[in-house]
Amino acid sequence: MSGNLKQFRIVLVCFLSLFVGSLSAQTIKGTVKDNSGEPIIGATVMEQGVQGNGGVTDIDGNFTLNLKGNTKKIKVSYVGMKPQVVNVAGKNSLKVTLDDEATSLNDVVVIGYGSVKKKDLTGSVATVSSAALQAVPVANAAEALTGKMAGVQIMTTEGSPDAEMRIRVRGGGSITQSNEPLFIVDGFPVESISDIPANDIEDITVLKDASSTAIYGSRGANGVILVTTKSGKSGKVKVSYNAYYSFKKIAKKLDVLNARDYTTWQYELAQLKSGESISNYEKFFGSYQDLDLYDNVATNDWQDITFGRTGHTFNHNVNINGGTDALKYAFSYAHMNDKAIMLGSNYKRDNFSLKLNTKPTKNTTFDLQARYSMTNVRGGGANDATSTYDSDKRLKYSVIYTPFPINNLNSDSGSGDDDLGNLYNPVQSVYDNDRLQNRKNLNLAGDFGWEIFDNFTAKTEFGYDLTSNYDKRFWGTTTYYVKNVPASENQNMPATQLQQTDRHSFRNTNTISYDFKKLLNSKDHSLNLMLGQEYIINKERVNTNIIHGFPVNYMAEDAWRLSTQGTPYMIRDYYYPDDKLLSFFGRANYNFKDKYLLSATFRADASSKFSKENRWGYFPSAAAAWRISSEPFMKGTSKWLDDLKLRFSYGTAGNNNIPSGQLTQVYENNTTSWINGISNYWAPSTYMSNPDLKWETTITRNLGLDFTLWGGKLTGSVEAYLNTTKDLLIAFPVSGTGYDYQYRNMGKTENKGLEASFTWHAVNAKNWGIDLNGNIGFNKTKIKSLGMMNDFGAESYWASSEIGNDYWIAVGGSVGQMYGYKSAGRYEVDDFTGYDATKKKWVLKSGIADATNVVGQIRPGSMKLVDQLTVDTDGDGKPDAGDGKIDTSDKTIIGNANPDFTGGFGINAHAYGFDLSANFNFSVGNDIYNANKIEFSTTGKYQYRNMLSTMAAGNRWTNLDPATGLITNDPTKLKELNATTTEFSPYTDRMVFSDWSVEDGSFLRLNTLTLGYTLPQLVTNKMGINSLRFYVTAYNVFCITSYSGYDPEVSTMRRTNLTPGVDYSGYPKSRQFVIGLNLNF
Amino acid sequence: MKKYIKLSILALSLAGLSSCDMDAPNQSSLDPSVVGYTEKMAESAIMGIHQSFGETNSYRGRFIPYYGMNTDVEMINIPTLAQTPDGGKNDLCAYNATPNNTLMNTSNNAYAKFYEGIERANMVIDAIKQYGTPASRPEMAQLLGEGMTLRAVLYLDLIKGWGDVPARFEPISSNTMYQERTDRDSIYVRLLSDLKEAEDMMPWPNDNDKTKNVERVSKSFVKGLRARIALYAAGYSYRADGTIRRSNAPALSVDNMYKIARDECEDVINSGKNKLGDFKTNFTNLCMDKTDAGNESLWEVPFSDGRGRVLYTWGVKHNAKDQYTKQAQGGVNGPLPYLFYDYDNKDTRRDITCVPYDWSNEAKAKQQLRKVNKWCFGKLRYEWMGRIVTSTNDDGVNFQYMRLADVYLMAAEAINQLSGASDAWGYMEPVLSRVLPAEKVATLKNKYTANKDAFFNGIVEQRGLEFAGEQLRKADLIRWNLIDDKLAEAKTKMQALRTRTGAYADLPGSVYTKTATDGETLIIYGLNHGETDDAGANLVSLNGYEKTSWLEPDSKTGVLKIDDDLINGLYINTPSTHAIWPIWQTFVDNSNGKLNNTWLGF
Repeated sequence: MSGNLKQFRIVLVCFLSLFVGSLSAQTIKGTVKDNSGEPIIGATVMEQGVQGNGGVTDIDGNFTLNLKGNTKKIKVSYVGMKPQVVNVAGKNSLKVTLDDEATSLNDVVVIGYGSVKKKDLTGSVATVSSAALQAVPVANAAEALTGKMAGVQIMTTEGSPDAEMRIRVRGGGSITQSNEPLFIVDGFPVESISDIPANDIEDITVLKDASSTAIYGSRGANGVILVTTKSGKSGKVKVSYNAYYSFKKIAKKLDVLNARDYTTWQYELAQLKSGESISNYEKFFGSYQDLDLYDNVATNDWQDITFGRTGHTFNHNVNINGGTDALKYAFSYAHMNDKAIMLGSNYKRDNFSLKLNTKPTKNTTFDLQARYSMTNVRGGGANDATSTYDSDKRLKYSVIYTPFPINNLNSDSGSGDDDLGNLYNPVQSVYDNDRLQNRKNLNLAGDFGWEIFDNFTAKTEFGYDLTSNYDKRFWGTTTYYVKNVPASENQNMPATQLQQTDRHSFRNTNTISYDFKKLLNSKDHSLNLMLGQEYIINKERVNTNIIHGFPVNYMAEDAWRLSTQGTPYMIRDYYYPDDKLLSFFGRANYNFKDKYLLSATFRADASSKFSKENRWGYFPSAAAAWRISSEPFMKGTSKWLDDLKLRFSYGTAGNNNIPSGQLTQVYENNTTSWINGISNYWAPSTYMSNPDLKWETTITRNLGLDFTLWGGKLTGSVEAYLNTTKDLLIAFPVSGTGYDYQYRNMGKTENKGLEASFTWHAVNAKNWGIDLNGNIGFNKTKIKSLGMMNDFGAESYWASSEIGNDYWIAVGGSVGQMYGYKSAGRYEVDDFTGYDATKKKWVLKSGIADATNVVGQIRPGSMKLVDQLTVDTDGDGKPDAGDGKIDTSDKTIIGNANPDFTGGFGINAHAYGFDLSANFNFSVGNDIYNANKIEFSTTGKYQYRNMLSTMAAGNRWTNLDPATGLITNDPTKLKELNATTTEFSPYTDRMVFSDWSVEDGSFLRLNTLTLGYTLPQLVTNKMGINSLRFYVTAYNVFCITSYSGYDPEVSTMRRTNLTPGVDYSGYPKSRQFVIGLNLNF
Repeated sequence: MKKYIKLSILALSLAGLSSCDMDAPNQSSLDPSVVGYTEKMAESAIMGIHQSFGETNSYRGRFIPYYGMNTDVEMINIPTLAQTPDGGKNDLCAYNATPNNTLMNTSNNAYAKFYEGIERANMVIDAIKQYGTPASRPEMAQLLGEGMTLRAVLYLDLIKGWGDVPARFEPISSNTMYQERTDRDSIYVRLLSDLKEAEDMMPWPNDNDKTKNVERVSKSFVKGLRARIALYAAGYSYRADGTIRRSNAPALSVDNMYKIARDECEDVINSGKNKLGDFKTNFTNLCMDKTDAGNESLWEVPFSDGRGRVLYTWGVKHNAKDQYTKQAQGGVNGPLPYLFYDYDNKDTRRDITCVPYDWSNEAKAKQQLRKVNKWCFGKLRYEWMGRIVTSTNDDGVNFQYMRLADVYLMAAEAINQLSGASDAWGYMEPVLSRVLPAEKVATLKNKYTANKDAFFNGIVEQRGLEFAGEQLRKADLIRWNLIDDKLAEAKTKMQALRTRTGAYADLPGSVYTKTATDGETLIIYGLNHGETDDAGANLVSLNGYEKTSWLEPDSKTGVLKIDDDLINGLYINTPSTHAIWPIWQTFVDNSNGKLNNTWLGF
């Protein structure tokens, strides 16, 4: 090691000595500053006409240059600033002031396996810079993108600190499979970017069309998100320290019935259910005459008890970076500790990263990078979207649990399958469903670049990524799991699952690139060529231990520490088949007179997920751009039009997003507790193998127009696209054949849309400025074909199997179509001929459809549903009448989770050291399936549950005659009692999904609002500090929406991709306030 | 030159990398060759078939609770015309099942899970035949036979449930994925030959370790099952051509089939490997999870103690978690109101089969009178179990698929058909003499052995009394083509019962009850033929009995205890043509156009 270091130093010394040289005819000394007077570090100073004579400015912006040639001109340049050529004839010292590049046209944009100047882009690419990321602190890099990029929809599915971010680039083409984009961090494909601190990020680029994603070939179909982390910059050591402290509270609570009203309703419900329900009621609440005792009963605000605490977060990070031209380094450490708003919920993360960029010789580069992150997520009761056991979605109890303690309410009070009426103390629910996740990620990468001869560079990169996730779950005595899964001797005793997942990825990429400028030797033509090859292998292993039968008083901590106290149920080490990907790719960029730009990309991928015959996928694409503003005929516009570029691209990208190992049917071993005398069995997987699987392919067409006006004051772009995905990889339902599903290539989807974005530097004065930016994206998604099928249903299962299919996937529709009944309000007294005392039921008038099969025994006030036209009475082949009863044939499409358009806008202003930024995001036209509303306002088969105050007395239909305390069946009386009520009676037999619970989820949210103050340089300089900024930020400041639930940005049933937009028992969102500082020295 | 050297090195290194092996074999899994060769693995694969029995909506939660209703002895508690059609359980039981039935039309329904079990059986059978050398390894042959037998069980129940169904006897491939319905005759032929082959590979009960337990297949069960299949194959059923008839296939002639049934049943009985014990003991053993082979039970679906809804649906109802169970279930299905009264007063099967009470809603529960329209089956009782059920959803009692009494009565039925009543009596007698006094048996002998028809009617009667609540009746009535008659008769009998006329004229209008000194047993007077309200009134005044109006109409409202709603709700379509369930819509939709229910009218 030390030997290596020594050699390294020698190389460094040699390298530095290159710049020393010997004094000759003319020596120029100078300083380079920006227009605020700040020295520019690392600006390049080159003598014109002499190859290789130049240097960079030091930390004070100074340079020294010995002129060797005769032009007497030097060129000073710096990224993001206008280069200047200065005549130095006869001078030996000078001051150069570089102006900011008025436009961002020369910004370098990272694209796959390389980068390109923004003005030379031909594809559809969106970028968020570090400046934008830094201005507002976020825990999660993806969060920073919210509302910032047209066509990129980012949704936080819940309010928990580790909530999944759902990212969709232009809708997504897959149906059953994930539509997550491909995440690439510094060239390395990763599972998620949530463990990267925002402060470490240099920029985030989203590749949207195939001409840009095709270089990622196989996996680019859903877009590519490229994250580049910060590298060292040569110059003096820079240290930046950022810290913030935040506190947060639940953003919205739902009102529930008060004690008296709750008790009254329980009485009415017991009367309606009749029989034993009445004696049970009396056991718990006393007699009807005693109802007034509940007027002053103290109630528990369970929402406040479970989510009401003030969460707080402390987050700080330090970045150290600097170096010389030959060796640049960047080190960062970040720590975050988030105590969330819910009981027992917190989040902790530590990140380290080190990046070294070296230039051992003139024509070689050698870079090393290491990133390490440690995340602990403690989540008691958080909604586990993939849980098999629906009753574990338990945050609902904080709404429906009895508002005051009921002494005798014990497990005998249950109904049907669920004891206790499926009602548990919310606090115990939380602790009985505890979870702790320890995630560790180590990423190591190195690359070596070598300019073998002029303009010909070869680069080889190696990377290794290790992800380890230790996930501990705990099921306490109130969970469905412990009541049903363990063998009987261990039933009703706590259980735990300890699961260790290890994932190793290795990547090797080799590229060569050649710039043909020497060969072409022309001012007008330029051609670049890049060829590459890549190999990636992923290995994954999951070790699962499930232990049942812990002592009943054990809490999560006890069970995790003392695992031998339980009885092992399953010990399984599962090794997945390796996932290998071998690729060859190439790209050519051609540019004629900076006016006509052409680029072509080709990638060939071989995936081990497919058989030899279908292994290779070929993904070509091409793009052309025409810089109209450079045409002679546009001369007249040059005063106000800096740049106008028309782009068109066409290309293909692929997708192999299915689990590996689908090619042959093999035996898997599974644990079981269902069969006497055995604990495991061999059986084929429930997915039938399919040796014929092949790549899913997306073809994208993109037309874009970029413009820059008024000296860069206004920039923007408008784009239109049409994406079609064919040979969809679908988990096809084949039940009835012996298997449940089979992965197949079938069907076709289409996404088309329009996007626009702009940035306007409205004011850019010396001491103040205002920038406005905005973007909007319209996307329309459509299923063109489902192969041999026309349609199929999907279940969200939030109410177990009570509701059945509540999503409908059909040709001509889209994923996210909600499927249920149309509400017709409630049955009024006039819908009935009267009450039949012998049959003990209300008799409907003829022509009024009977909803008994769906709602349960009906009477005035019961929920009423629309009887769809299903019967053809006149024989014209078209249904023209209802069948008089409500059943599954009356279900229809009642909502769509897909928004019409989404976007965001923001304002950034600064004046005399103060800065202000506000970022809004919005979504319009999407529906939300408010399952909470159903469960919180109707009884289903349950008793003793509380309800939302929308169902308070006076609102809900009542059947209770206050004079007698009994259910009345007198039509006039019922009419009179309900003259002013508006809602139906909450009493139902089961949960019913109708459009009554489908709500418009459109919203406009002021996502962040920040006010900062940067101390004047005069002050900070004295303190030896470069800059110091204090700020306050508020998150989720307000949200304008008509949605009645906790928050319109929600999607909690994520077991399959087919049921988006369900709001059920989720972790509520919070409102957060932050104070922080940015310090640089 | 140097350039080219550099370039070629580069090219070489690229070429080297591109030759990577791109195959990614499965790791934590086994190839059929290993499973088929290794005894332990093959056995474990057989258990994979059982797993399919236990899946949520398979035998466990759908077939066992809903198949077999309603008959002249069994009904869902309580069928009502008012709630039919309900798209759900009433439709299933009242001969009105539609392809969209809400309980059944799910992709994980019994229909799918039966085929999952069949695929698992096909795979393990194929693997043992290919790699297990069963010819020279009896232990592998036994597993092969077990696989074939379980497959036959699944096919038999598929045919019972859905009529003609796709036949798959090889592991599925993309070519065989979609199949039309196969005529049930050809499946029967295949099953009979499969079981013939399996018979020789299976040891008798207790002949080796694996047959010491009725949760594993023995020769007795294979033979019994083959006899049952033969009787069904020879019997009537509603066919795809819209007729109700026996098979036209000469191979499945009554003569051929009844000979198979006779021979197989005689083999089992003559082997002496299983013994008819006490009637009640069979059920207490079942409740106590006693699964030793050699007794009456021949094979049971081996639900573990935390899985299955057998007692949950077919047992005596408990209204609360109490001293006998921490699961308040039971009483989902029950006997028809008159069944109790159809037994002889002295028939010990009566009080075991029909229970007029449930357990009160108390932690220390006691028996409390139910209603005459709401009896419980009593063959399964939480109070007979050796353990306390704790699961909220499953009781863990095995499903007894076949018992020796069935073999006796099948033998009697076959022999009566082949050679007459007097030869057959020898096989019916042991079943009756264990439950009835000798003189009653003698009376029945006289009645039944009068001629062939009389004996057949005796079989019809006794199978109903013997197996009520064991899900055999519906298939029996169908194969005899008696389902329409018997269900119509059931309505008449209920009419007679509620008016206390005909066979029920000697019953009192009320029953008189008292809790015994043990604090939980209900002593009941008034259920036996010949008991009177007068004597009951005496018990009230002298012995502290409580009077509950039972058969007589409500004294105030005049409402009948067995109302028209129940009687007319027993079936709402002709049972014989609506006994077969349609293949659920989801499977029709998934069938690539190969499946339909047109012959059933959908």
